[in-house]
Amino acid sequence: MIDQASRARRAAGAAAGYIALIFVLALTAGPFIWMLSTSLKPLADQYDGRLLPVRPTLANYARLVKAAPFLLRQVWNSFELSFLNTLGQVLTCAAAGFVFAVFRFRGRDLVFSLLLASFVIPPQVALIPNFIVFSKLGLVGTKLPLWATAFLGGAYGTFLLRQFYSSVPVELAEAARVDGVSLPLMFWRIYLPLAKPAASALAIMTFTGTWNDLLRPLIYLPSQQKLTTLTVGLSLYQYTYSGQWTFLMACAVLAVLPILAVFFLAQRQIIEGAALTGIK
Amino acid sequence: MRRRMGYAVLAASALCLATLASCGGKKPAGSIKALNWGTEQEAAVWNELAAAFTKKTGIKVEIETAEWSVYWDKINTLYAAGTPPEVFAMDAPLFMDWYSRGALASLQGYIDREKGFLEGVYPQTLAAYRTPEGFYGLPRDFQTVALFYNKDMFDAAGLGYPDESWTLEELRAAARKLTSKGPDGKIKQWGLQADLWDIETFMSEVVWAYGGEIMSADMSKTAIADKMEPWKLIAAMVQEDKSIPDQDSLSQYGSDAFLAGKAAMITTGHWMVPSYAPVSFKWAVAPFPKGPAGRVTSINSAGFVMAKGCKNPDAGWEWIKYVMSKEGQTKLAELGFAIPTRRDVAEGPAFLEQAIKIDHKLFLDAVEYARVKPVFKGYDRWSSAFGESMAGIYKPGAKVEAVVSAAAQAADAALAGAGK
Amino acid sequence: MQGRLRPLGSERAWLWIMLAPTLAGIAFGTAGSLLASGVLSLTAWDLINPPSWAGLGNYARCLGDPKFLAAVRVTLRFAALYVPLCVALSLALALLLNRGLRGQGFFRAMFFAPSITSAVAIGLVFTWIYAKDEGLLNRLLQVLGLRPVNWLGEGAIFYAVTIANVWGALGEGMIVLLAGLKAVPATYYEAATIDGAGGARKFFRITLPLISPTIFFQVIIATVNGLQAFEYIYMLTRRSQGESTMATVVYLIYRNGFRWFSMGLASAQAMILAAVIVLLMLAYFRLEKRLVVYD
Repeated sequence: MIDQASRARRAAGAAAGYIALIFVLALTAGPFIWMLSTSLKPLADQYDGRLLPVRPTLANYARLVKAAPFLLRQVWNSFELSFLNTLGQVLTCAAAGFVFAVFRFRGRDLVFSLLLASFVIPPQVALIPNFIVFSKLGLVGTKLPLWATAFLGGAYGTFLLRQFYSSVPVELAEAARVDGVSLPLMFWRIYLPLAKPAASALAIMTFTGTWNDLLRPLIYLPSQQKLTTLTVGLSLYQYTYSGQWTFLMACAVLAVLPILAVFFLAQRQIIEGAALTGIK
Repeated sequence: MRRRMGYAVLAASALCLATLASCGGKKPAGSIKALNWGTEQEAAVWNELAAAFTKKTGIKVEIETAEWSVYWDKINTLYAAGTPPEVFAMDAPLFMDWYSRGALASLQGYIDREKGFLEGVYPQTLAAYRTPEGFYGLPRDFQTVALFYNKDMFDAAGLGYPDESWTLEELRAAARKLTSKGPDGKIKQWGLQADLWDIETFMSEVVWAYGGEIMSADMSKTAIADKMEPWKLIAAMVQEDKSIPDQDSLSQYGSDAFLAGKAAMITTGHWMVPSYAPVSFKWAVAPFPKGPAGRVTSINSAGFVMAKGCKNPDAGWEWIKYVMSKEGQTKLAELGFAIPTRRDVAEGPAFLEQAIKIDHKLFLDAVEYARVKPVFKGYDRWSSAFGESMAGIYKPGAKVEAVVSAAAQAADAALAGAGK
Repeated sequence: MQGRLRPLGSERAWLWIMLAPTLAGIAFGTAGSLLASGVLSLTAWDLINPPSWAGLGNYARCLGDPKFLAAVRVTLRFAALYVPLCVALSLALALLLNRGLRGQGFFRAMFFAPSITSAVAIGLVFTWIYAKDEGLLNRLLQVLGLRPVNWLGEGAIFYAVTIANVWGALGEGMIVLLAGLKAVPATYYEAATIDGAGGARKFFRITLPLISPTIFFQVIIATVNGLQAFEYIYMLTRRSQGESTMATVVYLIYRNGFRWFSMGLASAQAMILAAVIVLLMLAYFRLEKRLVVYD
């Protein structure tokens, strides 16, 4: 009897959960689906206000297909930069977050405050001073400025990982210490695998952030189709004053698809990765 | 090791030969950077032009194309780092901002050396780049403004199509008739889409057609409030007739109600022709309607400038020269956006017989009665303040005199603060 | 409490080695751009000619400029609404997706989709949703027998824009908070269940305290993003020639610095905004000591 009642309660809870999920899905994916549907409409129907295209067409994608060789190259460039940035950020931010969260040492709070100070300057303002530095170093026109800085830590990732690590019981580190594990090994073997949920959140954020970045690749790389990233490349098509939204939406869909695919493939593995298995 | 040495020697001697060859002819060589704004179609045409140019001269051109809304970010950043490109595209109204800051190289010396270089170029397009010290830029293509109309809507309303006899009063009357409301009292169709933010496509033409001015002769003071008749006409269309849509209505049609089939007419430039080509309704163009002081339209150009202190100015000049040549202008005309600045190309098949069949010649004839879009330092800031104040005209019951004089004041205040 | 362990022996050297990239980043990136903006804010710089000294002129100009002051007001008002909405709704989504329901991978990807879509496209879609005559929202209101609203007109636009911004930021907040939730050991819940604790009690006694460090993080990030918001707002409120009817501080910074040859003025505006952010962060970190539970 008790078992049945609790099963019924669980089923009701799941049903309520799904209703909520579908409601949110309508809100979050709705505009996205509209985007997709508009990209499949002929120009004349762009304001028909219908969710499903009455006369579906792939014409908007045809213009993009013509540029396919460029687009593949751009997808590769975007992927390369996104990957390097993600790698750099996860490694250096997790290490710093670990140190900040686990240890108490002289100068720690000062360094952490300075790190957070990078939040206060809008990125648009930091753009020019940074560009001048890389220009003097002769690195403008190469990809280096677009990924090397990711290996120098960062406020967002470090702060995120520090918060994550701070809920990990300190006994873990103490136990490792008793076993004579050195600090880098402690990080690499115990703390880094432990941070899978937070590190994957940072990875997703860094990957998508790099992928969608427009201004930095625009100014650092030559604005030539074969040399630039997908976001910059597609911006050439999105002449926002042309009024041809069906085409613009096709570009937007194309821009999102590769990264959504990456997210879809990776998210289960990274978010549901065994969290805190090592702790008792 | 020895083999590598061999390559080095080979490379070095090749370099020497190349240097000797280039010095011998006293011709500019090397490579230059040329930046443009535009779409991927424009990028493709520019790259073809560059390839043809390299074949001819041996000068390598690195074409870079960025979308308009981020193009200036790139130019500004390159300047800030002291590495401006040899040549970059310039919007005429912004020219004075760059020239007056000493950012540009003079082209006068080059022009003087090429006899008759500017012959055959529409003089109205040259005006924007002429300074007391000579030319600091040259026009690449230009635009005149005309009246575009939706033939289907005119047919449905039983109205005759606009023609060269039309006055602004007739424009108003037709726009009123073409405005219709749905059963719920909401406007379903507007008579005329008119931009009341930037002066180029509607306001300046109307002001001039009434004998008014946008700026004082020395470009130091906003003169729009000096004559009220044009503004009364505009205000009547907005407030009484409601035949001009306000910005909130327009924004739901991506700011182009004409393209959306929601406005019967629009005054705009030739640059919209390729955008309007794929629509499902029939449309055509007519000259900008006349006013009491005659017919006036606005002419504006996109041009080239060369950065002061760039690495390879001589090669940059060769590139400008080539793009302004008959060959270059003919190729550019393929894009169908703009009008070539050379009369022989504009009046030839490259422009007049384009794939999109409309009365292209009308845009050329407009040069005769066109005035140059005002060009002065701080234009963008001025235009921003002006447009923001003018938006007051959409408010129900707003007094037109008050709105216009407030806009003039705001614009002058912005001008005073420009560039600090 | 943060950092309970005192480093011993070689650990003292190791932790600085592990912090070395971060230190380099601070030296080259943060310190450089802070210093540059600070110095530039005292100059007039058109990006073309060398900067010339302007003293406090730029600051005086900001404080006497009604447009800038209006932008500050709009930005603060926006952030005040954006931050709580953003954090609360992201948390709700994360909780919803942390229940182990089937198919949540799909939902997670779809909920995250707004975060990776270009602002241009999203801005456009939202102008259609908000359109006053045939917009989705107004049609919905009419079906429900309610009066349509001019969402992008004066008054309503502020809320319309805020909602669109929150919508765009939810995916990111959700992912971060989900990571926080994953860090809560399942054994805690098991123990609570044995003790007979209900769902609400578990949430307030276990979940909330244990993820409070992540919530704290998200509050800070949302505050910074809210005060530096620009793209979505611009896309929904733009007029011809790159104008906006709801100018935020960063929008003005961008216009002044990149369009109007006034990098000095833009830097001063950035420094004023930075001061606001610093003050808020100080207040937050003070609160952190009281509200955030570590361990």
